[in-house]
Formats: sequence, C-alpha cells, structure tokens
Amino acid sequence: MSAADDISTILSSGIRLTVPLAFAACGEYLAERAGTMNISLEAMMLGAAFGSVATASATGSATTGLVAGVLIGLLIGFVHGNLAHRLEVNTFVVGLVLNALVLGLTSYLITISSFDSHQVTQVSVPWLRDIPLIGHPLFVERWPVYLLLLIVPLTWWLVERSRWGLELRAVGEQPQAADVTGIRVNLRRRQALLWCGALAGLGGAYLAVGEVGSFNQNMTAGRGYIVIAAVIFGAWRLGRTLLGCVLFGLADAMRLALPALGLTMNSQLLVVAPYLLALVAMLVFTTRNREPKSLGQPFVRGST
Amino acid sequence: MTTVDERARELTPPSTPALRLRGVSKRYGPVVASDNVDLDVNHGEIHGLLGENGAGKSTLMKILLGLVQRDSGTIMRGDTPVAVRDPQDAVALGIGMVHQHFSLIDALTVWENVILGDTGRIDRAAACRQVEEVSRRYGLPIDPTARVERLSAGERQRVELIKCLRRDPSVLILDEPTSVLTQAESAELFTVLRHVVRAENRAVILISHKLAEITAATDRVTVLRKGKVVFHSPTGDTTPPELARWMVGRDVSLRAEGAALGMLPVDGAAPSGDPPAQTTAESPSGAEAEAVTPAETTAEPAAGAGSGIAPALRLRDLTVVIDGVTVLSELSLDVAPGEIVGLYGVEGNGQSTLGDLLSGLVLPSSGTVELTGRPVELERPGALHRAGLGIIPEDRHSSGVVLDMSVAENLVMKSIGDVSGRGFVSRRKMHAVARRLAAEFNIVAPSLDAPVRSLSGGNQQRVVLARELSAGPSVLVAAQPTHGLDVGAIEDMYQRLRDAASEGVAVLLISTELEEVMALASRIAVICSGRITGVLPAAEATAERLGMLVGGVAA
Repeated sequence: MSAADDISTILSSGIRLTVPLAFAACGEYLAERAGTMNISLEAMMLGAAFGSVATASATGSATTGLVAGVLIGLLIGFVHGNLAHRLEVNTFVVGLVLNALVLGLTSYLITISSFDSHQVTQVSVPWLRDIPLIGHPLFVERWPVYLLLLIVPLTWWLVERSRWGLELRAVGEQPQAADVTGIRVNLRRRQALLWCGALAGLGGAYLAVGEVGSFNQNMTAGRGYIVIAAVIFGAWRLGRTLLGCVLFGLADAMRLALPALGLTMNSQLLVVAPYLLALVAMLVFTTRNREPKSLGQPFVRGST
Repeated sequence: MTTVDERARELTPPSTPALRLRGVSKRYGPVVASDNVDLDVNHGEIHGLLGENGAGKSTLMKILLGLVQRDSGTIMRGDTPVAVRDPQDAVALGIGMVHQHFSLIDALTVWENVILGDTGRIDRAAACRQVEEVSRRYGLPIDPTARVERLSAGERQRVELIKCLRRDPSVLILDEPTSVLTQAESAELFTVLRHVVRAENRAVILISHKLAEITAATDRVTVLRKGKVVFHSPTGDTTPPELARWMVGRDVSLRAEGAALGMLPVDGAAPSGDPPAQTTAESPSGAEAEAVTPAETTAEPAAGAGSGIAPALRLRDLTVVIDGVTVLSELSLDVAPGEIVGLYGVEGNGQSTLGDLLSGLVLPSSGTVELTGRPVELERPGALHRAGLGIIPEDRHSSGVVLDMSVAENLVMKSIGDVSGRGFVSRRKMHAVARRLAAEFNIVAPSLDAPVRSLSGGNQQRVVLARELSAGPSVLVAAQPTHGLDVGAIEDMYQRLRDAASEGVAVLLISTELEEVMALASRIAVICSGRITGVLPAAEATAERLGMLVGGVAA
C-alpha cells in the first residue's frame, strides 16, 4: 500500500467517524445557544442507534430505521425538555438519568433479541471520486452523509438569521430580559431540545444503520460526551464546533489505523486523545469565553 | 421649579385621561402593597410617582404591565374598563415600559434587541432603518449594529427608549430611569420625554424618588406611602420640601427627638442628654454637621468624627463600577469607636454594594478601607475579618450562615483554628465555645447540632451576630440586620447593637428602614446614587431634610 492510500484510508474512516458527531453537534450547538446543557445527548444517540436497527430489521428498510432513530431522539428531547424546562428538574440530573436508563435498556434489549443487518445505500459520485487522496473519502459515502450539506447551513441560518434563533440566543443569554420582552423562555428551550433530539437521533441512527449495519452494546461509547466537548472546543460557534468534531473523528481514525500501519504507538493513549483535546480546548478558551451566560441555569419567572 | 410654560398648561382645559385607576389594591399575605389606589394619567402630561422603598410604586406599575394581578379595583382606558392579564395585553393597550435592568440582552446588537419580541421574518436592513429613524426623531443617537455589552449606561437607556417608542405606546412608564445615568444623560432623557409628551400627546409616568427630577420634569405628581396615595397635586403648586415631608412621613421628627433624647449609644466622651447641638461627641458642631453637597463630600469627607477620636472605620473615595455602571462613586465615611452611624437611602442606591464590599465580595476600582488606622488589602480573602471587621450581611442565607451546617459549626466557622489541634476539629472545644455563645446571645435552638436551617430567622441572625462579635471586632457592619425578623427579634438586635457600641465597637448600620436608623444611629449618612449626599446628627434629622437628601438634593 502506498502512503497516499494510507492517508486516503484514514481520511475515509475519519470522515465516517466524524459524521455522527457532526449531526449531533448541530443539535447540541443549538440547544446550548438556547441555554440548555444537554447531557442526554448520549442517550439520544444510543437510543436512536438501537431504534433504527430494530426498525430496519422489522420493516426491512434502513431508511425507515433512520426515520425511527430521529423519532427516538425527538422523544428523548421531549422528555428532557419537559423535565428540565417545565418541571424544573436539574438538567444535569435529567441527562445523567436518561443516559443511564437508555444504556441499561438497550443493553438488555439487545441480549433478548436478534436483528437482521440493514444498511442505507452507498452513493458514489462519478468523476469526483477519482480525485486523488480526497476523492474516495468524500465522494463515496452512505447517502445520509450528504444531509450534512443541508443541515449545517440550516442550523447556522436558524440560529443566526431567523427570528426563532434570535429568540433562542436571547433566552440562552438573559432569560429574565427575554421574558420581560414577551418571549416564552421555557417553550423556546424545549423547542431547541427537540431540534437537538432530532439531529442527535439522526447521528446515532447513521452510526447504526449507516456505518455499521447492526447494534452492539453501548455502541456510541461516549460519543455524546465528545460532541459536548466539541461545542466547548468550538467556543459556541458552529464552524469551530464542526472543526472540533473533525479533529475528534480523525483522532479516532488514527487510533483504528495505527495497528494496520504497523506503528506501535500506545493506542490507549490515542483513545484518550479526544478527551485531552477537549481539556486543552477548555484551558485555552476560558479566557475569552463566549459561553451563553445562562447555560445550564433553569429559568423561573420572578427569580433574578 | 415652576416654569411659565407649566403655568400656561395649568390654565388649558384638563387633558383627556389616558389611563385611570380606581380603587386598585394588591396584598401579599399581610402586606398591603397597593391600597385602594386612584390615579389619573393624562395625555400630554408627565405624571410623577414619588415614594420611598416599598411605597408600592413598582407593584402598581407591575399591575399596569400585567406582570402582577390586582386583587380588586378597575383599570380604565378612557371610560372603558380593561383587563390586563399579561404583558401582551399591556402591549395591546399601548402601555410601554422602559425597564432599567432586565430588558436588554448584552450579547445581542442594538437592532436585534429592538426587534426582540416582534413576530414575523427578520429584516435586518429594515430594522436598522427603523432604529435610525426613531433615533433621529427623538434625538437619541445610537449605532444600530453595536453590541449592547459595549454600550454605556446612558446609551443602553437610549436603546430601551427606542425599543419602547418604536411600538408607539400611548402610555410610557419609566421606572427610576436616571438611577444609572450621569447628569448630562438625565438631562437628555428629560428633553426627549418633553418632546414625547408635548409633540406627540403621549402620557408618561415617571417613577422616581429624586425630588429634583420630579419637580423639574413632571406636570403632576402623586406621592405614595405604604401603598396609599397620600398626596396629589400639579407639580407647580408644590415644593420639594413639601414633597419630601409627604414622601417620608410626618411623624419622623418626633421619632428623631426620641432617638436623640433616649436612645443614643453611650459613646466615650458623650455628654449625655442635652439635645440637639451636643447630642454626639463626634459632631464638631451643629453647623459643620450640616449636610454637604456631593462635591464637598469628596473633597472633605463628611464624617464628623473629629475631636480627637480616631475613626475605627474609615472609607475613602470608594468607587465601584459594575458592568459599566458606577454603583459607588467616591464614597467616603468615617465611623468612630462607640458610635452607631446609620447609612440610609432608598434601595438600589449602592448600599448593598457597600455591604458586599465590606464582606469582601466586591473589590473597589479605587479608594481604600482603613480599619483602626491601617489600610486593608481588600484583594486578600479574609483580610477584613483579620483586620477586625465583623459583618452581618444583608442576605444571611447566602453569605451569613451555612444553612445545612449545625449551629455549633456556624458559630465557630470564622475561628476554626481556635477549636482545633493537629488539623482536627475538636468537637469538645467547638461545643464548649458554641454553648457559651448560645447562652450569651440567647440563641434558641433544638440542639447545638441542629442545622441552622431549623432555626427561626431571629435565631439565625443571632448566630451571625454571636459569631461576628465573639471575634472581638473593632468595627461591626450591620446590613439590613432586622430584615424579615419579628418584633421581639428586632428589639433584641437593636439592644445588641447598642451594647456593642457602648463597649466601644464602631457600628455602621446600613438600612433602608428609616425607623431603624432613627432608633439606633447617632449620625445619619444619606446615600443617593452611590454618593453620600449628607451626614446629619440624628437629632437634626427631620422628615424634610432626610427626604431632600434621599431625593438627591443637598438640604
């Protein structure tokens, strides 16, 4: 194998590992701009991964599985939103409980059931796939990958240009002021969580019926947390958040590729690389912090 | 302050009422926040609403804005009764409010803030155009694309006004609009309000406790006290001293005499008795203890603690700026050993910031705090405590006690070194200290190991007081020490503070309750907009003079 092939392989695998993160990151980014620290991202991804495989197996259609994944993400977003922004349960506690619940539930369900393998179809773009080095990684992918081309700009437009997004940002920064201005703070936060749930669900489902074709126990393996770290790494800007996802994806790809390349670098070290990256990012970015001012703080009218 | 212009307006036939309130009442439990209030606000007029803290101004406005529901009474638009159930109703009725604190989002730009709360698609160009248009029409220059966090307090005020005026309100409410503004900015604001009223026939309600503002800017004034309308007049027919008397209440002077005669702390050299000129040893003379203007305050601190006794607490030119707002402005004050100085003023004039500063929670941008002659290094945690300053903080639940720790633990919290050896806390020593303090300060608790949360407010406050006094401080700062306590606990607190003073502790009492200040303090310093507007011996504190000082007018 030539070096170019190696690079191409690592890029391919890096992109495939980045895609689920990128979907979820678009969701988490929007939820955090609205002021919710959505820890249950992991539950959304894992639940969707399981649901998509189960549905794909039952219906024989991977695409239907993908839709089911989105619905499961929405459901978890709905539950999180209502617990955190209607009943005022601490958002971190809600997230941790949902993560534990979904992990336990899916681990149990997979032991008592067996599913057929289904995968969404692969798209191969003629001509472009022949570009050296990046042609194959970028232009031979499962079709949901190309949804990102729609969802990333849409997320940016929603947050930065739409009235809904303006209100989301207001709610994430100073909910009391937003309330006085007549914005329904907790409604907006619940809506943001639904968007987050749908996209995290898409990410989780893509991982299962897109990439792997089956479900195994704890298959997201902390990817939800990686995405949360990516949003921090990106200092609450979409472009940098996605860059964070790419870095984490590539670090993951390196880890998988090293043995094949015959390198004897300690792969355990590479497993922690994304997390180290997140830590360093937090150290670097705390000085010029652009965190939404009310991130993670519940809104109750009358308290200032 | 009556101008010819205003006189002329008096002669014109009465303008139409934009808004009428009849018998509006609201109570919170036993507290009557609004008591059968009648109010007529006319088109083409600025209506001043004057009153101290808790007089019910804000409650009334919240009722008008639909943020609070009234218990009884009618709100009428012209002659038709209307319902104001939520802020949306208020907007539909054309009632707009310029909020001082909570309505702009710092991270957003000016135009984004202005259109926040609208519906429909965002059109950035149109929004900017509208902002510029409103800003031109009223003479409120602002860059629509600037981020609010970079704006000064005055500019933020302009944005608030533009946001409100763009919705074309028929009634515009301003709540203490000048509290964070400079003189020039205030003048600019009132020019705009004049225009809004004269040229566009809107009605303006101006809530304020500043007399100069009310007399200069309003056409009609209503004074609220304890939720009731106590006085109502065209502004031209009244005077600042009269308004001051109505605002503070007629019975103050009586209490002042009582305080001067009977309840003065025994300070070192005080020749007891003889009011009024010699009531306190610290007052150099009646004449010099006259209120001083803010300018004089900064040059020559108004504290009268001359005559030989070095002040135990000496605040010099303290300036605190929070979020671009000058909260304390070159504040200077001295407190001598053995005296109680009351710092009195309407809430939100910087006194809680001073309390935070003396708790070590806020650092001044300039100025010094000296304790018994030595400057304190404020940036070191615990420096104030070590220098001998005890504090009863304003919010005892967040910075006075740890609610879920035991009475004993709370009592020794600031002197853990004294009850521990080799890095371990000795429960025996801790309990011994706690038992002694509990007995000395009459702390009633189920047990010394019970969490402080289980104690009544009065006993919690005694825990704070016992802890602070047990360290043997030379200065005790009591910020709103009787807030939320019952009558017995209040009496007890008063007695303890007097005892502390008579033992030679310099006591600074920060309070918004006039009765409290009159009952305890030998000198009263009045704070307004972060400055000391004057220092009076308690015996000379009449309703009128205090009212003028509280209203920012040097009497």
